[in-house]
Amino acid sequence: MDQIFFALLNGTIYGLLLFMVSAGLTLIFGMMGVLNFAHASFYMLGAYFAYTLQPLTGFWPAIVLSPLLVAAIGVVIERYALRRVHHFGHAHELLVTFGIAVVIAELVKLFYGNYPVEYRVPTELSFAAFTLSGIDYPFYRLFMGAVAVAMFAAIYLLLTRTRVGIVVRSAIYRPAMAEALGHNVPLVFMGVFGIGAALAGLAGAVAGAFYTTNPNMALDLAVLVFVVVVVGGLGSLGGAMLASLLIGITNSLAVGVNFSLGDIFGIVGLGEWAGSVGGVMTMRLSSFAATLPFFLMLLGFWCVRRA
Amino acid sequence: MKLRPFLILLAVMVLLAIPWLVSSSMLNAAIQMLIAALFAMAFSLLCGQAGMLSFGHAAYFGLGAFATVHAMNAFNGEGLLPTPLLPLAGAAVGLVSGVVAGYFSTKRTGVYFAMITLALAELLHALAPHLKGTFGGEAGISSFRMPAWGFGFGTAIEVYYLTLFWVLLAIGLLYLLMLTPLGRLALGLRENQRRLRFLGYNVHALGTLIFAISAMFSGLAGALQSLNIEAANYAELETHVSTVVLLNSFIGGVRVFLGPAIGAALMTFFGHVTSDVTRVWLLYQGIIFVLVMMFLPRGIVGELVERFSGKRPAGEGIRLSEMLPRLAGIAVAALGGVVLIELLQRVMSRDYRALAAGGQWPEITMMGLSWQPGSPLTWLVPLSALALGLALVLGVNRRAAARREATA
Amino acid sequence: MSDPILRLEGVHKSFGPAHIIRGVDLEVRRGERHAVIGPNGAGKSTLFHLCSGEFAPSSGRILLDGQEIGGMKPAEVNCRGLARSFQITNIFPGISVFENLRLAVMRKHGLQFTFWRRVSRLDNVTQEVEGLIERLRLGHRAHTLASQLSYSEQRSLEIGMTLASDPKVILLDEPMAGMSQEETEYTVGLIREIAEDRTLLIVEHDMSVVFSLADRISVLVYGEMIATGTPKEIRENPQVKEAYLGEEVAA
Repeated sequence: MDQIFFALLNGTIYGLLLFMVSAGLTLIFGMMGVLNFAHASFYMLGAYFAYTLQPLTGFWPAIVLSPLLVAAIGVVIERYALRRVHHFGHAHELLVTFGIAVVIAELVKLFYGNYPVEYRVPTELSFAAFTLSGIDYPFYRLFMGAVAVAMFAAIYLLLTRTRVGIVVRSAIYRPAMAEALGHNVPLVFMGVFGIGAALAGLAGAVAGAFYTTNPNMALDLAVLVFVVVVVGGLGSLGGAMLASLLIGITNSLAVGVNFSLGDIFGIVGLGEWAGSVGGVMTMRLSSFAATLPFFLMLLGFWCVRRA
Repeated sequence: MKLRPFLILLAVMVLLAIPWLVSSSMLNAAIQMLIAALFAMAFSLLCGQAGMLSFGHAAYFGLGAFATVHAMNAFNGEGLLPTPLLPLAGAAVGLVSGVVAGYFSTKRTGVYFAMITLALAELLHALAPHLKGTFGGEAGISSFRMPAWGFGFGTAIEVYYLTLFWVLLAIGLLYLLMLTPLGRLALGLRENQRRLRFLGYNVHALGTLIFAISAMFSGLAGALQSLNIEAANYAELETHVSTVVLLNSFIGGVRVFLGPAIGAALMTFFGHVTSDVTRVWLLYQGIIFVLVMMFLPRGIVGELVERFSGKRPAGEGIRLSEMLPRLAGIAVAALGGVVLIELLQRVMSRDYRALAAGGQWPEITMMGLSWQPGSPLTWLVPLSALALGLALVLGVNRRAAARREATA
Repeated sequence: MSDPILRLEGVHKSFGPAHIIRGVDLEVRRGERHAVIGPNGAGKSTLFHLCSGEFAPSSGRILLDGQEIGGMKPAEVNCRGLARSFQITNIFPGISVFENLRLAVMRKHGLQFTFWRRVSRLDNVTQEVEGLIERLRLGHRAHTLASQLSYSEQRSLEIGMTLASDPKVILLDEPMAGMSQEETEYTVGLIREIAEDRTLLIVEHDMSVVFSLADRISVLVYGEMIATGTPKEIRENPQVKEAYLGEEVAA
């Protein structure tokens, strides 16, 4: 029972982090129709910047500064790369962001090497929040969840309570109309792109210390983030939130569950046959955890098509 | 257009003469170039002609490669599939997997299609290590080329000719395909699927078929790879493979027939030549790709074809007075950029950092020169070359734009 | 001659709570030129989408030559002999005019998955395409990219592609939209020509075109057919006058 509680809690927090990365992507997709392949790279950059800054400035300034740096990079990419290719269509934009993701990954490898770096949770934050049936629950996980929730509240208030938010929402709904009404839509796009990048960067800066920080983290996350954006409904923040939680929890439960297809056949008395078939039959479900995002992705596309 | 047959004949003759012209290491590179060219052509049938962007072509390349190794081990290069015919195994598996994957992915279009291809390929990549029997785990599966039809297939020259034969055959078939009703309909798929539907075509079946043909030729390319290295490895299913074929094809230009092949051959060639010098070829490739997509959206070959085919309106031809300084600017900026990246790469490497840990900055030998990473000049010179080159290009572009405005 | 080639029986279509088509009965006779008119938002385009397979009707039957086509896919409807044009030009922009029409013609010749014959050697296809280009007066533009045609040339191409499959019934959705007077006259001539031995169902806002071109007219208002008849009958129908035409036609 406690196992399941832990799995649920971990999943929820992981989902909240996913949401932090997805929020910017779904807003950008909703507004500009651009599926930004480099968005997860912003997450990675956030982690690496924080890792670099931490020894110089300490942990807190590092997780504030690195999202700002990432935002600056995002703004430059939007202004000088994406806007230039906008009139070639969405496929072209997707390709450019794909290229940028490759370049960022290669640059990270160049500067930091093709292996994980030692980005650790600061000692003052690594203590147990509570203990349940003998297992310590790290405070830092709760901290990550709190950051994500705070961010969600901030974006929500920004979008619903401010003039900028109204313009952003109208630009998502009808960009041409918003522009005709005299709002500077390109500037809004650039701003949203920057804020989206900063959110992803913040998620990276905070989560990189807890999970691993390596040059492949962007691609691993990219797939999950795409799933969130598609399952959540394009451009919908609430949908993205739900989808993030759903995927986070599914992921974390699957890792905890340990059976194989063969065991299921065993229940109906076909265990021996399944064992003799081998291959897929004897693989543990938890060893499929790495494939789960892709299954979810295909499933997501399937469900969305039906809807 | 009477020139074309002669050009083709000339190109084929040069390709046939290559084993006598180049060193054995270069011959190996030539084989790699041929395989990359075929793979890029297969990829571009789907992405260029039919306009369906795939991020997961590694899957079909890899499946073709593994199928071939299994066929090599099963037949020992005799019987039904003697060594020269082994690529058929890769093509067949590519075709079958393409039918299945194409059936599912072509149900959606655009960005969604792209994401499904990515998910399918990554799914295979994530599953493969668990299926040891099929994919051989970490070590992969190896095999041997057996003699057949009086050829030993022990030397690179024989492998080169075998590869050349299959690649030319496949490219020829792809060319003929474009001249058939199905090939024409591929263009229709790219241009307007909805219209095609209202003209009475089964768009889903057409998309699946084009996908399958693309996967078949990708499988063939994978098969040739297996024949060449006498092994297949799980690394052939990696994202990296899908990425490289995509970059290569778009750098060449996916909508001109030989564009992807030329792009892939060139990129593979440079990758090979620079492999002793740099460890970050993929970075350069990525940068070239982004620049090409931004400034030459038709790809390098596509842009050249466009400029020399006289299709451009008058006044937009090439002006030497603009082109030369522009090229010079690009060259200077590129030199500065390359020096910077290479210096950084060396300074940031593990070995050097270990050396520099004591606060010392030992000198680096690179491009036949020695560089002092401790001195600001080392960084300022390439940086200013980069800035100068870019400024030159921007200046020329601005003047050209002003002139165009004045004449308009 | 009196048997209807296209017959709609009690067709309804709703999108969620929005009831767009509210029980339409319509008979289009073989060989006639039949126009559907009605105010904006009456459901004319939706009606076309239902007949051409874009949408499936919520209820009711759509019969083409006695066969049910309601709910079929667009490709199936097309293969049974009903082709349509679009209100917003719907062509293949990145390929030549010739290629556009060739794609449109090929289907009729059963060419779809054919990868063993060269398209340039299919003489009957080529001849047919050339004939069409001639008819559309696009001869000098045959090798121009469709995206580079003028607007009215694109509209002609749109009609030409609809015609290419030699359908029994042609649906034209506002073929004159956005055209100048001169272009309209030319297009009316073209439509007369192509409708010679076919059945034509047309939606158009230009009333002078409708009344000069159509043999019969149906009036659709808020998803219901309020009248069907000859131009003369429609002109004099008080209900139509009240609902839609007003003084414009009476004058």
